[in-house]
Amino acid sequence: MGLTSRSFVELTIAAAVCGLAGTVWLWPRVASQRIAPIAVRLGLVAASQALAVIALLAAVNGYFMFYGSWSALLGGGTARSAAAAGTAASQRPITITATDLGPVPGSGSVLPESANGKFAAKPPQYYAKHHTMAKHGIVGGPSLNGGLSRAARSAGELLQVTISGGHTGITSGRNFVYLPPQYFQPAYARARFPVVLALTGYPNEAWSLVKFLALPATAAGLVADGKIRPAVYVMMNSSVALPRDTECTDIPAGLQVESFFAQDVPLAMERTFRVQPSGSGWAALGYSAGGYCAAKLAMMYPYQFSAAISMSGYYNAITGSGTGSLYGGSSAYRNENNLYWRLRRLPAPPVSILVTSTRGEGAYPGTLAFLRLIHPPMRGYSMVLAQGGHNYGTWHRELPPGLEWLSQRLAPARPHVAPGRAAALDRSADRISSRARADPRPAARPRPRAARRVRA
Amino acid sequence: MGLTSRGLEAVLAVAAAGLLAGVLWLWPKLAGRGIRMIAARIAALAVLELTVLGLIFAVVNRSADFYSSWSDLFGAETGSGTIIAGQYSASQAIAPVAVTGSSAVRLPGRGRARAGILQTVRIHGQLSGLTMPGYIYLPAGYSAASRAARRLPVVAVISDQAGRRAAPGSARRLAATAAVQMAAGRLRPMIVVMLPSRIGQDQGCLNVPGGAQAATFFAEDLPHAIGSVYRAASPFTRRWALLGDSSGGYCALQLALTSSGTFAAAALPPGTYTAPPGSGEFGGSPQLRSQDNLAWLLRHRPMQPISVLLFARGRAQPLLSLVRPPMYATSLGPAAGPWPLAAALDWIGTRLSRSGLAEG
Repeated sequence: MGLTSRSFVELTIAAAVCGLAGTVWLWPRVASQRIAPIAVRLGLVAASQALAVIALLAAVNGYFMFYGSWSALLGGGTARSAAAAGTAASQRPITITATDLGPVPGSGSVLPESANGKFAAKPPQYYAKHHTMAKHGIVGGPSLNGGLSRAARSAGELLQVTISGGHTGITSGRNFVYLPPQYFQPAYARARFPVVLALTGYPNEAWSLVKFLALPATAAGLVADGKIRPAVYVMMNSSVALPRDTECTDIPAGLQVESFFAQDVPLAMERTFRVQPSGSGWAALGYSAGGYCAAKLAMMYPYQFSAAISMSGYYNAITGSGTGSLYGGSSAYRNENNLYWRLRRLPAPPVSILVTSTRGEGAYPGTLAFLRLIHPPMRGYSMVLAQGGHNYGTWHRELPPGLEWLSQRLAPARPHVAPGRAAALDRSADRISSRARADPRPAARPRPRAARRVRA
Repeated sequence: MGLTSRGLEAVLAVAAAGLLAGVLWLWPKLAGRGIRMIAARIAALAVLELTVLGLIFAVVNRSADFYSSWSDLFGAETGSGTIIAGQYSASQAIAPVAVTGSSAVRLPGRGRARAGILQTVRIHGQLSGLTMPGYIYLPAGYSAASRAARRLPVVAVISDQAGRRAAPGSARRLAATAAVQMAAGRLRPMIVVMLPSRIGQDQGCLNVPGGAQAATFFAEDLPHAIGSVYRAASPFTRRWALLGDSSGGYCALQLALTSSGTFAAAALPPGTYTAPPGSGEFGGSPQLRSQDNLAWLLRHRPMQPISVLLFARGRAQPLLSLVRPPMYATSLGPAAGPWPLAAALDWIGTRLSRSGLAEG
């Protein structure tokens, strides 16, 4: 029975109700005012209280997906250590395990919340209202066997993927790739798209980026409004070995998590999709632990990631029992993973970083301290909300301006147009971005119109 | 009362304790029969349990900053923030490559015909902050307009001999060897970058914990610096290789094994590679020390998609037995001479053309 399955959550709730009912049933038998019956009463109350707490934890975990499975909670699951078998590189680096556009050829699975091709374009409120807990049935949808469907051309496609790193040997499953509708349109048939690597907090499931942060839905809406340019989003769990908290660190003689995100993931994406390989074509974003990861990846690999957004991030890994030893006992190596230390002691990298926080957050002073240390050629940008906590509501509010900021720093996918007309398209694209910068109101979808005019 | 206030926690804690004591003490008064008594029991237990759950929520919420206020909890917060750009003075960019000298490379017995250019340079790594003296050989026809669009493969030679004029591995001899091989058609045109392996106390091209970041210099700064100044291939096209001599052999294999995304091939002299040359800097960590042992890397990490040429000189090469696909390793015997530079360059040329992807 799955940890986040509806039946498990219902079982814990039933157990809590039974605990309460049992106590009510046994009540009269321990009703005398002596030590022993009072002790039994205390035991009964404590037991039914414990069942209530378990039910609450199961329900909250089932909803927010902190731990997506028993192995993620207890360990001993699919977490792969780097094996010297040499098999990883010969496999395909990315395996598609599900899609929102119908069964995957060969495996027949679709995403748990398939919306028949409209997934990426739905407003985020849809997912808040229509979420049904872990309904993993096979839902019919347009088949991919007949080539690229109309749904993909109008709404894009969301894929569930497993990414295998040939360099590090790390395999990370249940991640998501969002391909924008332009990816399937003839004008972009040869264009290479920029990539945004999005990372969750800890502990978490990558699905949270789709469901709670509503990253594909928000991006699709902003592209449709002409506020950002289309990009491919690869949405990943920042923890590759749950329940361990790996903090995107190359653990000495252990999991090379930082290299996995900095080298293996870009290579896997570049080999599988029509995306740009590096530099101004790549950016990272994340919240909480994922914010630390995004900032660290951009600072340590600025030639791979040219910009990053850290939402409610921290800038030095929080180590504890969840992380275990991350630095092989070396304080010097620990310093190298401390972004404050890096800014004080190493040359500043040529990247732009947007940090967000709220005035009420515990991480706010640390965020300000990080901003103060940034110096050229690094560029710091900040967004501070007056209200809000460490939650998806806050990050979802920060996302639209953040994605606009990111889009201005990413090399766009160039649609294929006849020679001589490319310049006109470029100019119109520039107009869009400058308008988007100057005018906070939604623009009236200028981009599709421009594309039609050019093709006509 | 604020959601994150200590007052809320205190009220809930006092209420929970009071309710618990009340329930335990007044228990007999609710022990009677009848639907009203049962309803009273259920109500008493439910209120107690919900108070305790509320207390747990308040404590966890405050410690983890989940929701900052009641309106935040109920999703009533709307609106976003504005992005404020930090104000910075213009940074003074250091040129990635400073050319301090330049001379023509001539083929032996061909008179004054030029066969490329040898530049004396200083290469500055933006991320590592390291500046390294070196040499760059640009092949014949590099500056010809007809080839302006083509990006050339690069071989980085790591050797402390490059700066010594009389040494067999001096920059001038290396450049001349490359020129001869290219003129004879045995080697396709490529850029040769020559750099020392010794950086401070480190001779292993390693990132010294808390110190000089030589691995960052070679794997990240070097391709970026060379690619921004010369018509050099991007490492993504698998057209960067390493060549080490007795001083830079460890560097070459270490970098190829740990930065296979940058380097596709490495040629190196025989060696045991159980530890880096020099003092070995591992920040007091036995795990980092293990990683510096290249035999350990081959045993414990996935095989990297790289090609390695070892000069075995007829002896059994212990590293060769550890190599499995997708890594490829081969060896050259004693017939190739004590420092078979030409053979090594030819081999690198074949590996880079095989693994090279099309690049415009």
